[in-house]
Amino acid sequence: MADYLSTLSEAVQKGDQHLAAETVSEALGAGVAPETILHQALIPSIQALGEHFKNGTVYLPQILVSTRAMRRGVDLLRPHLGEADTSKRGTVVIGTAEGDMHDIGKNLVKIMLEANGFKVLDMGEDVSADAFAAAAQEANADIVAVSALLTTTMVRIPDIMNALDRVGLGERVKVMIGGAPTTRDFADEVGAVGFADDCASAVDETVRLMELGLKEAAR
Amino acid sequence: MSTGTAMPNRERFLAICRNERPGDFAIIDWFHRCWPETIERWIGEGAPEDIRDQDARNRYFGFEHLNALQEIISEHNRADLKDSSFSAPPIVPAFEVKVISEDERHRVETTPGGQTVEVSKEFPGRMPKYLDHPVKDRASWNEYKKRLDPDTPERWPSDWDAFVEKTNSQDAPTMLLIEGFFGSLREWTGMERLLYMFYDDPGLVEDMMEQVLYLALGVVRRATRDLRIDCVRFWEDMAFKSGPLISPESVESLMLPRYKQVIDLLRSNGTDVIHIDSDGNVNELIPLWLETGINFPWPLEVAAHMDVVALRKKYGRDIILSGGIDKRILTRGKDAIRSEVMSKVPFLVETGAYFPCLDHAVPPDISLEDFCYYLNLVREIGGRAALPE
Repeated sequence: MADYLSTLSEAVQKGDQHLAAETVSEALGAGVAPETILHQALIPSIQALGEHFKNGTVYLPQILVSTRAMRRGVDLLRPHLGEADTSKRGTVVIGTAEGDMHDIGKNLVKIMLEANGFKVLDMGEDVSADAFAAAAQEANADIVAVSALLTTTMVRIPDIMNALDRVGLGERVKVMIGGAPTTRDFADEVGAVGFADDCASAVDETVRLMELGLKEAAR
Repeated sequence: MSTGTAMPNRERFLAICRNERPGDFAIIDWFHRCWPETIERWIGEGAPEDIRDQDARNRYFGFEHLNALQEIISEHNRADLKDSSFSAPPIVPAFEVKVISEDERHRVETTPGGQTVEVSKEFPGRMPKYLDHPVKDRASWNEYKKRLDPDTPERWPSDWDAFVEKTNSQDAPTMLLIEGFFGSLREWTGMERLLYMFYDDPGLVEDMMEQVLYLALGVVRRATRDLRIDCVRFWEDMAFKSGPLISPESVESLMLPRYKQVIDLLRSNGTDVIHIDSDGNVNELIPLWLETGINFPWPLEVAAHMDVVALRKKYGRDIILSGGIDKRILTRGKDAIRSEVMSKVPFLVETGAYFPCLDHAVPPDISLEDFCYYLNLVREIGGRAALPE
């Protein structure tokens, strides 16, 4: 079993989607539990890669091909996984701020969140504050993630918090922001509890916000 | 233009670049490009309407002119498309622009570069959403590359002799524009597809870079034969907030040898001021660029953790600096503007080889009053008179 898992980890780290798919199939055929494949090979590999990315030892092309390899493996596992393992770690509504059509950063965050087990509802670009709030309500979202490329669109972020307040989600749903001109200071200034500099940090921040939400709910 | 010196502007520009005039600087128009919305805002706030024209803007704001040779189609800043909503890579011919669909807020259309984009109708000057790119695989690349021949006559001003005479007789530094080895590929393929290609088809990536090199060498050979070129700019845009979009190892193996071929040719013709435009955090790239002769980065975005003062301290006289003044601060009032400018500009002017400017084009959330306040602070540091009221 260990051989399958180490080969799979290597396949994900190298971004070899064919080897990843082949190894998942072989491991399942050999009787390795699908939960073991997911939790002992696929997820730890992508998490390790995220750490390497933050440390500057891995770059975006590798992140993309590795998440693609992981997705191939997860697709093959899905029919074999129980309810508990296919349920998601949390739901994120994501989009770019109103007036902002630039989608590259948002797409990378989406790819990384999905690879790390989050359900992501992509609202696309140039999303109005009310549309963010409505989607959060409909999807019963935990987090709204907003990307802004421009100084002129990042100022729309407070509108989103106000819209969430209007539909009664201001307390429960956490807002995470990112994008070229944004900073943690700006997030603090506008009252967004989450901020991420890049797609790997966005995963950490999403995990942190989920834990924060759980703690608040427990009070 | 008042420079306070009798030295011709071209010589003075080069002397500043070579750090032969510490204490002197030029406030350059090219580094103070504005969003169209910014210009309209300022006109609404009392600036004369003729500032829509660059020459008038230079007079009004006291900018010194850097003559970027946009008449040669060698980079996406190209004079033949100056009235288009979109820039395009230096393809000849450009693609036909067509509207595909539109609703109340957005319009889907093709660009002169062969992309399909969705634009905001309210803010047509802003970066669009890219829906499709012309290069998807080897077959589409083989078709596309036919538009990248340096010898296509339409790439060059039709009356070359007149263009040469006019350019060489101007007392403004001259900058030849060259497409970079990453940025252009991204424009052709789209970013995600390009990043996958680095793994899935590295040979195709290299083939595209070879074409960029072929075009660049062809452009440099002809341009330097007749024109006096003071400075060359590569356009790359190859970094995001946390670092480069590809690894330094990829830059080193794929890009540096090709930059070097272009720079060797430039240096053999006496051009050693090599400017590069890349947004984002380029801290890891700067030492690689310097190693290959690229010595003049811009815009050094503060939000991407670029620190223009730290760069001067780290690289000393090896680097020419421009940018690095946080554009976001110019919306936060005069005290904040003064603090930002005074924490950077005096030191950089004193240490030389510095062109003061914001850390990218001037966005429309900056008022005319605050922009003039920033300019006057910089002018004061240089001992120059304030702009006329």
